[in-house]
Amino acid sequence: MYQTFLSFRYLRARPISWIGVAGIFVAVAALILILSIMSGFLAETRSHLRGSLSDLLIQPHLDRNLMHEGRSILPKRDVPGILEVILADPLVEGASAHYTWYGMLAAAGRERMQSDVTFGDLALVKLVGIDPTEEGTVSSLREDLVRDSLISDEQVADPDDPFGPIPGYEPDGRPLDKVLIGEQLARFWGLRRGRTLELVTAVLDPETGSPREAVSRSFVVAGTFRSKNNEFDLSTLYLPRSVMADWFGSGRGFTDVAVRLKDYEGTKTEAQKSLANKLHEAGYLHDPEITGGSEIRTWEDFQRSMLAAIENEKGLLGIMLSLVLLVAAFSVFAILSMLVQEKRRDIGVLCALGATQWGVMGTFLMIGLWEALLGTLLGLAAGIWSSLNINAIEQALSNTFGFQIFNREAYAFDHIPTVIEGSGVAAIVIGAFAASLIAAALPAWRAARLNPVEGLRHE
Amino acid sequence: MSETNSPILSVRNVRRAFKAGERNLEVLHGVNLDVAPRERLCLMGSSGAGKTTLLNIIGLLDRPDEGQVILKGQDAWALPNSGRAGLRNHTLGFVFQFYHLLPELNALENTTLPARLAGARGARLREFREKAEKSLIAFGLGERLTHRPGKLSGGEQQRVAIARALLMDPPLLIADEPTGNLDRTTGDRVLNLLFEEQQKRDFALLLVTHDQRLAQRCERVVHMEDGLIQADSVTPIPH
Ligand SMILES: Nc1ncnc2c1ncn2[C@@H]1O[C@H](COP(=O)(O)OP(=O)(O)O)[C@@H](O)[C@H]1O
Ligand SMILES: [Mg+2]
Repeated sequence: MYQTFLSFRYLRARPISWIGVAGIFVAVAALILILSIMSGFLAETRSHLRGSLSDLLIQPHLDRNLMHEGRSILPKRDVPGILEVILADPLVEGASAHYTWYGMLAAAGRERMQSDVTFGDLALVKLVGIDPTEEGTVSSLREDLVRDSLISDEQVADPDDPFGPIPGYEPDGRPLDKVLIGEQLARFWGLRRGRTLELVTAVLDPETGSPREAVSRSFVVAGTFRSKNNEFDLSTLYLPRSVMADWFGSGRGFTDVAVRLKDYEGTKTEAQKSLANKLHEAGYLHDPEITGGSEIRTWEDFQRSMLAAIENEKGLLGIMLSLVLLVAAFSVFAILSMLVQEKRRDIGVLCALGATQWGVMGTFLMIGLWEALLGTLLGLAAGIWSSLNINAIEQALSNTFGFQIFNREAYAFDHIPTVIEGSGVAAIVIGAFAASLIAAALPAWRAARLNPVEGLRHE
Repeated sequence: MSETNSPILSVRNVRRAFKAGERNLEVLHGVNLDVAPRERLCLMGSSGAGKTTLLNIIGLLDRPDEGQVILKGQDAWALPNSGRAGLRNHTLGFVFQFYHLLPELNALENTTLPARLAGARGARLREFREKAEKSLIAFGLGERLTHRPGKLSGGEQQRVAIARALLMDPPLLIADEPTGNLDRTTGDRVLNLLFEEQQKRDFALLLVTHDQRLAQRCERVVHMEDGLIQADSVTPIPH
């Protein structure tokens, strides 16, 4: 095709055409790199948000109003029974019953509690009663206990038995019950392994639901854990579930059950429904028709607003970045318009020698096509390569310029995370290609509409 | 002339006006002209008479406001765009005063361009390339095949342009002051070449000029004044 032949000749003879290629190249490469880094940050943030949350959380309502028309009963509260029902579901990987409550931490211990309370030197904490073995099947607690910590050196003696004996702890009298505390909490309050702390809480009357009494109790720190979620590490204490049940009594073995699914993304809705029905039949949950399934929630339900914000941010970023594409497309448009203007005589000659308007248009469109093709392919390669090697690139740049470009202190991670998102990359490539072609089509169309006589009139 | 078949070109009552500010300036006031096959016709006239305008209409580059251009029996301006493009490609050869070669292509590529525009590829294109090469060599450009127009003199460029115009063996060649931009000796060489080719290939030649000497070498001279054909003098020249 003469269009191909001529477009190659024009590209070869006009180095300025390469500016169009360079524009698309830079835009595509930058977009892919930025999208990959952004996706990496978002994925990392998402996993931080998730922290040690399990897939599903089952929380029976203890609301008597739900028990009407004989359709619902006061839920049963024994741990082995509910675990048996849950684990029988083929979608379930593991389950762990929690006894969750809230309290205040007086870190200085019983002696100084008076002044701590007076000066507000207290932390509101979540008390999670667990069985470490059960918990291991649903959360990353075991890894959290041994994960390298930047700030705490107070890990448990035996991660497989975190509530086991504490080396160097010699109780005078009856040994205290043990707690595991988040490393941020430990740092903030200067708590070390073997130190005692005081927990203050209110116990509710199981019949009326009103606070029965304020109680306080001493515990000893068995070690620290480090989930990926700082917020969590600043506000959570793990205790043996039996201690919690014993402390709060009232015949209740658990308050909620964490469940891990075999395939969370694929079966979350299905699993929610089937568990709600089965647990209702077994007498552990209310009728899902009445509660609307609100007794079983996913981890995302707890972080909904943060996750929505992340998604939204990604969308906004996409819109802003498509402006870069617009600039690249504009450079193709501008350069091709110049070429058409400059080639008015050639266009006249082509007409005189027998080219149709479509042929003339095709010639210039083809120039845009090569620019788009070359620019997007090179940009795709460079974008993916730099996404894969961003940390090495950053290192090299940092060494060259003598300062740290990626400030590790400012983030919770020590490398630049990247995730190459196939659909996003495809959208960028297709978008860049289409935008460049459309940008080329306008001047090509103008070339086809030129009056050949005008182009031929002068030397 | 009696046995000569119907004209290769008939211009019928062609009118063309241009907008000059408010006024409509009519340049061609109903031109009639016939060109017979193998004829050598010289169109003369002072500058601004409308010769180029007429040639552009005959060359199917500029649409007349009125009238017909009949090429090989077809009313060319009544054809669809693609039909006219085909006529420009096969039936007409165009030689311009300013050569109008494509600067990005070398002499050989410029010469083969009409074949490419006709869609020739592969073996057919190679045939045309050989043909182009032969005529360029015959035109004394054997050493210049791969030179770009920028490296060629005016006379050489015009010879390439003639080879290009003749590549598809059109039955009609139109040339608008082909020597107007050349010095006398060079112009004469180019004209000799053009006339030799005409004798070899038997195409009709419509030549626009205001060079009296040139007119003497044409068998028929037509004068154009103020947008009308004034006089037609036939001087048979033995081929
Ligand atoms: N596109 C145009 N717009 C306005 N006037 C034109 C145009 N083309 C030609 N003319 C006018 O038409 C007249 C004839 O021009 P042209 O055909 O080039 O004459 P010639 O070739 O005989 O010297 C001139 O007066 C010229 O100014
Ligand atoms: Mg003229």
